[in-house]
Amino acid sequence: MKKIVALLLAAMMMVAAFASCGNTDKAAGGSDDASTNTGAKFSVDVADFGEESGASLKVWGPDNYVKLLKKQCDAFVKMFPDQKIKINVVAQGEDTAATNMLSDADAAADVFGFASDQLSRLVNAGVIAPVATKYAEDITATNLKAAVSASTLPNPDTNEDTLYAFPETGNGYYLVYDKTVVSDKEAGSLEAILAACKKAGKKFIMDAGTGYYGCIFAFTGGLEINGLEEDGLTQKFNDFDSKKVVATLKAFSTLMHEYKDTFTSLDVANVSSGFVSSKKKASTCGAGIDGNWNATADADALGENFGATKLPTIKVDGEEQQMISMYGYKMIGVNNGSKYPRTSQILAYYLSSEDCQQQRCDELGWSPTNNTVIESDSAKNNVAISALVAQSEHSVPQVNVSSTFWDPMGNVGNKLIAADTNPKKYDFDKLLKDTISNIKDE
Amino acid sequence: MRYIDYMQLNPFQKFGYNFTQFFKKLPGNLKRFFVFLGHVIVKFFVGIGKGFANYGKKFVKGDFAVKLSYLIFGFANMVKGQLIKGLLFLITEVAYILFMIYFGWGYMAKFGTLGTVKATTTMDEMGFPVNVPGDNSMLILLYGVVTIVVSVIVLAIYIANTKSAYKVYEDKLEGRKVLSFKEDVMQFVDEKFHITLMSLPCLLIGCFTILPLVFMILIAFTSYDNAHLPPGNLFTWVGLSNFTDLVSMTEGANKATTFIGLAQWTIIWAIFATFTNYIFGMIVALMINKKGIKLKALWRTLFVVVIAVPQFVSLLLMNQMLQTNGAINQLLSLLTGSDVAIQFLNSTPLMARVTVIIVNIWIGIPYTILITSGILMNIPADLYESATIDGAGPVKSFMKITLPYMLFVTTPYLITSFIGNINNFNVIYLLTAGGPTTSDYYQAGYTDILVTWLFKLTMDKNDYNLAAAVGILVFIVCATLSLITFNMTKSAKDEEAFS
Repeated sequence: MKKIVALLLAAMMMVAAFASCGNTDKAAGGSDDASTNTGAKFSVDVADFGEESGASLKVWGPDNYVKLLKKQCDAFVKMFPDQKIKINVVAQGEDTAATNMLSDADAAADVFGFASDQLSRLVNAGVIAPVATKYAEDITATNLKAAVSASTLPNPDTNEDTLYAFPETGNGYYLVYDKTVVSDKEAGSLEAILAACKKAGKKFIMDAGTGYYGCIFAFTGGLEINGLEEDGLTQKFNDFDSKKVVATLKAFSTLMHEYKDTFTSLDVANVSSGFVSSKKKASTCGAGIDGNWNATADADALGENFGATKLPTIKVDGEEQQMISMYGYKMIGVNNGSKYPRTSQILAYYLSSEDCQQQRCDELGWSPTNNTVIESDSAKNNVAISALVAQSEHSVPQVNVSSTFWDPMGNVGNKLIAADTNPKKYDFDKLLKDTISNIKDE
Repeated sequence: MRYIDYMQLNPFQKFGYNFTQFFKKLPGNLKRFFVFLGHVIVKFFVGIGKGFANYGKKFVKGDFAVKLSYLIFGFANMVKGQLIKGLLFLITEVAYILFMIYFGWGYMAKFGTLGTVKATTTMDEMGFPVNVPGDNSMLILLYGVVTIVVSVIVLAIYIANTKSAYKVYEDKLEGRKVLSFKEDVMQFVDEKFHITLMSLPCLLIGCFTILPLVFMILIAFTSYDNAHLPPGNLFTWVGLSNFTDLVSMTEGANKATTFIGLAQWTIIWAIFATFTNYIFGMIVALMINKKGIKLKALWRTLFVVVIAVPQFVSLLLMNQMLQTNGAINQLLSLLTGSDVAIQFLNSTPLMARVTVIIVNIWIGIPYTILITSGILMNIPADLYESATIDGAGPVKSFMKITLPYMLFVTTPYLITSFIGNINNFNVIYLLTAGGPTTSDYYQAGYTDILVTWLFKLTMDKNDYNLAAAVGILVFIVCATLSLITFNMTKSAKDEEAFS
């Protein structure tokens, strides 16, 4: 009897060991509302599919785009009924797409959206397929030059410039403000904005502690990233004037401490939620730095009082300096290990096409990269898109960014705003030097 | 010193005495340890030598069938009447050969270099990219390890086969009855029952614990970092260079300063997190347990509610509450009437570290309350009564009765929670994510402990080799600490004391 009990116990151990291996793959597949808008402009030769049929693809898109992405994928499937394509759309943020691709490329999506700074990592690890030469020409001809050059990197083996991704949308941030707090004229200068916000008892919100926004402070002083070293990993910088950068950092820190209850560093989501006012509670945010992906939320919160424009200027040693941002793109890539490489290429090509860009511009307010869509009315009438385009002229392109860039740059923002930093005494020179050497991983 | 003299010392003198004794005995203990280690090693090699000797002896002594069994598994068993057993051995051999031909050998051959052919992508005639997969270093490493493990298992079966062949030969020679298959199987529920019982758990532990562990340990000796990511790149063996990176000081924010800085904070954190929880938890438990306290069950339940909420939920909530515009600052603003904006988590290292420890107290003491109140209720009340009659005050009876009793029962718990805190990922990562940030550390912040740094290295930077090296070092520290401290406890030395 004892032995039977012991055997049972051993068996139970086994069951317990397997019980944790349950299937937890949650997919957002299916098609609930297939769109009627199939778009007549996009077309490819059916022969391009080659011998692939019955392809089953996994597609990654960010949360707020998933619904439209599903619609677009359904339209794609309907366009080629003979191919019997199945598409499974899964929500996956663009910011972590590369990380997930790199941790297990086999289980990752066939077609995925990602932010342009991840391109070098993806290319180095060989997990992203180059764009089919057949489509590369059309992509180059119909999209913004800057967007195409951001999607192009030298092939690590041959060193030839190769188009690796399909441009999806411009991606950047700019100044947003409540017109009842900050006037259009005041929106041109950071000092005036802060003064206006303080007067109204509202906050100026930006995410200074994140590298994506924190780089503003050094960029405004003239620092620029300038591609990668030959190893494809180490960041290069321009020949900057470190005195000027240090003076700019000091000017920012001084302002932050002068307006320490107004200038707050919070996650960007707090900008749009801070604009919301109700009968019970007044809005808390007067102005902030927000990205185009939040444009609809900002506009909904403020209604006709929504203002958006390029980033303001800041006074450094008596001179007005335009604040410089980082301007990137979101792109669509194809997994190099995909079982259906051709279908994946064609789907990515479709998602980057004029039709899909127009839909994203109309429904989500995403800034287009397609030359025709940029000229469309819906893009021109959109305040946020105009602001983004204006800001793109004062920006450093988010291309060839080393993965070690972000944390040290975020640290700069944290240090400038930290309560225990005394801008008069703090050694900004050391901060800059440490930051540069940390980014270069020396 | 005699026992009686020792007993008359005051606690500080006792501690001092033990302290000096520890160091006085240390050389002797170390010597004994190494002698013991030497014996074990000698024993191990003697065992292997004996095994080989036996292996050869049986080969020489055995007849032709036994000799052939050394090449063809189960041959002797088959010809001497144990057909099924012999067949099973033979099947194992065939399966292993097939496994090596179709799977194992391809990986084993590349195991020394971890692959030499890089993947390439070319364009076909229609202009579509074609991926030509090359060697995948990670898969070579993984399946290489699998092949080695399988080979070791087959080796064990092979040895069992030679033994079995010799045994059946001996049985025949001496006229003993050769066991039938049924009798052989019956042995597995009788005198060999331990094998039946343990084989499945051992197999599972091997597959799900040992194999990944070996794989992870091996990664620490490769160049599997962000510059050598498969499938597009190859990585290879680099020996100990990941470990030397962790201890060699160079200028600037490097891996060594980060490792040492984080290791110090990890130990400080583990000490504070363990003992603050233990002490405060015990105090609260004592208060609840005190005679005359009403609604004891209610108070206990209230604390248990904290446990009922998943830990990560409370931690993420705490993170929100501690932000500059979070609930705590707003509450303080309301109470003081002025605008309070304390940066709990992202200003000075000290502030953030203290905040983390305090939040951890709030999350951790309910567990200590649960554990200690049970023990407190178990202490015989007559001990206290007689202490009171003898004139002992509450402090004295706490020090002389409660504390020794508690320490005896809970020292193993203290050790496990200390080790657990060294690896306490949740509290640090969810509460501060390692912040405040700094330019002094390599990919880490001031409140990062070694495991959260390890997480960042793997998840954000893909520096798997460095992370594996850190993991091994953490394991060594944890294992040594827990072994030493556990063996020094009263509960281990004197197991019978309170039973």
